[in-house]
Amino acid sequence: MFDKILIANRGEIALRILRACKELGISTVAVHSTADADAMHVRLADESVCIGPPPSKDSYLNIPALLAACEITGAEAVHPGYGFLSENARFAEILADHNLQFIGPKAEHIRLMGDKIEAKKTAKKLGIPVVPGSDGAVGPDDDAMAIAKAIGFPVLVKAAAGGGGRGMKVAPTEADLALALATAANEAKSAFGDASVYLEKYLAKPRHIEIQVLGDGRGGAIHLGERDCSLQRRHQKVWEEGPSPALDAAARAKIGLTVARAMQQLKYLGVGTVEFLYEDGEFYFIEMNTRIQVEHPVTEMITDIDLVLEQIRIAAGGDLPMTQDEVQIIGHSIECRVNAENPQTFRPSPGQIRQYHPPGGLGVRIDSAVYQGYVIPPFYDSLVGKLIVHGKTRGECLMRLRRALDEMVVDGIETTLPLFRALVREPAIIDGDYHIHWLEQYLSGQQGG
Amino acid sequence: MARQPDAKTTPKFSSDDSALIRELALLLDETSLTEIEIERAGLRVRVARNISIAAGIPANVPLATAAPVAAASPAAAAAAAATADLSKHPGVVPSPMVGTAYWAPEPGAKPFIEVGAKVSAGQTLLIIEAMKTMNQIPSPRAGTVTQILVEDGQPVEFGEPLVIIE
Repeated sequence: MFDKILIANRGEIALRILRACKELGISTVAVHSTADADAMHVRLADESVCIGPPPSKDSYLNIPALLAACEITGAEAVHPGYGFLSENARFAEILADHNLQFIGPKAEHIRLMGDKIEAKKTAKKLGIPVVPGSDGAVGPDDDAMAIAKAIGFPVLVKAAAGGGGRGMKVAPTEADLALALATAANEAKSAFGDASVYLEKYLAKPRHIEIQVLGDGRGGAIHLGERDCSLQRRHQKVWEEGPSPALDAAARAKIGLTVARAMQQLKYLGVGTVEFLYEDGEFYFIEMNTRIQVEHPVTEMITDIDLVLEQIRIAAGGDLPMTQDEVQIIGHSIECRVNAENPQTFRPSPGQIRQYHPPGGLGVRIDSAVYQGYVIPPFYDSLVGKLIVHGKTRGECLMRLRRALDEMVVDGIETTLPLFRALVREPAIIDGDYHIHWLEQYLSGQQGG
Repeated sequence: MARQPDAKTTPKFSSDDSALIRELALLLDETSLTEIEIERAGLRVRVARNISIAAGIPANVPLATAAPVAAASPAAAAAAAATADLSKHPGVVPSPMVGTAYWAPEPGAKPFIEVGAKVSAGQTLLIIEAMKTMNQIPSPRAGTVTQILVEDGQPVEFGEPLVIIE
């Protein structure tokens, strides 16, 4: 087991990682930009190193500074959290070159799943159902129209180097294809440095259902059930829950087994999430995230497994915590991502939190690094914290969420708490009857009404 | 207090030296002085209010690397708050990177600067080493070195005050 881990991230996930380290008796090094000098996890860490000025590229993405921080503190392992360098295969390799352990998957798998075209080819080879599509990049020499017709309109043009909901353009009919291709390629080039695009069938009202996996790197892998993350705004998840209201035990077991077998074949190491669109009883692979995800607490609440702790244990050479048969999904959990944004316009609202009162009680969990008086810096994401609730049934969970949302106070900045208070009372949400376009339709309905 | 050090001994801290420093630190607290510097053959000691105690050794004496200064506890306790104050000092040179700070280009060599030295803009003040690469830290301006705030071989973080050039 590691003696000292450097946490290469910030905000709530850095605090989350710190907590797991402390529970394992591992010393912690918090690195931070000058803007995060007063962060909660920096205060709680055994050591801290300021690695740069506020801009991420000069601090949290600054690989030489991170390596130097490892050197001067004697950290043996680095936990990259999510975002930042967590899916940077080169960073994982550089760490290995310096005899530092990257707490995450093997660099080859990060690289494989980072290229969305390769990821899809790999998924197909491993027996994972995929969205009908162009089977590779669509270049200037390809007959894009023929490929699109074969798939069937509407089609989606996606950036090969994209992911996380970015770099996608819809072409509803044949007439829209040329423009969608050109725009997507241009945007991909400037956002990701790679203009490669591919085509996929555009599904009308799918749900976003993802499977959590855990692998020991030696061919052992288990799935930990699904999360339904259909409620999104501009491709960013807002509300996640598990189990999915749309799946029954049989469907869950079938897709879970398929994914677990694929991970066993890959000899996947660490945590990962295989994401699907689900429509009319069919699963369609869209991408795999080779990192811990924001919404991991949902799975933790229903399986009683500490995923970050398992990441660390497995990175240190440990075994899987249990066999597939021993995995139990108990009850229901919902997570709300509370952002520092205006609840109608979603304009970011950084600034000082003058009053902060988190909710409590049975089955209520807050994953947040804020505190009363904390100033949310304007340089990073706007996540205030995650409110996660657990209940024996989905109904109990909803009541508990309603109660917890009403208790929670975050004053001094605007937050999206009012949005969640409205959602938890909304009939479609209560019925679990929604899809990936539902939230945006609801929001534009609210503005129109 | 005058004492002739034995010319044959290598300079390292004796209990007499730490008693001296303690006395100087107490003197600082009792008076409104912010620094006291004394020099005698082979040893020069400066005790300043805002930093943990730094020992300056003349160039012709080998650098004593083990210099865990017997800081009087008021000075040490104030060090954390004081370093924050120093980061706003107009003459401060903050560290541009994470690494280990060294006073000299290599072990046993003469330090780049000493307190009181006049430096020109761009002149090397220190080396910061990170991952086996040595980075020379240039002075941002011409002036006089009034304080050296890091120990030889001390790990430093981004923004950490290294030197005061006035």
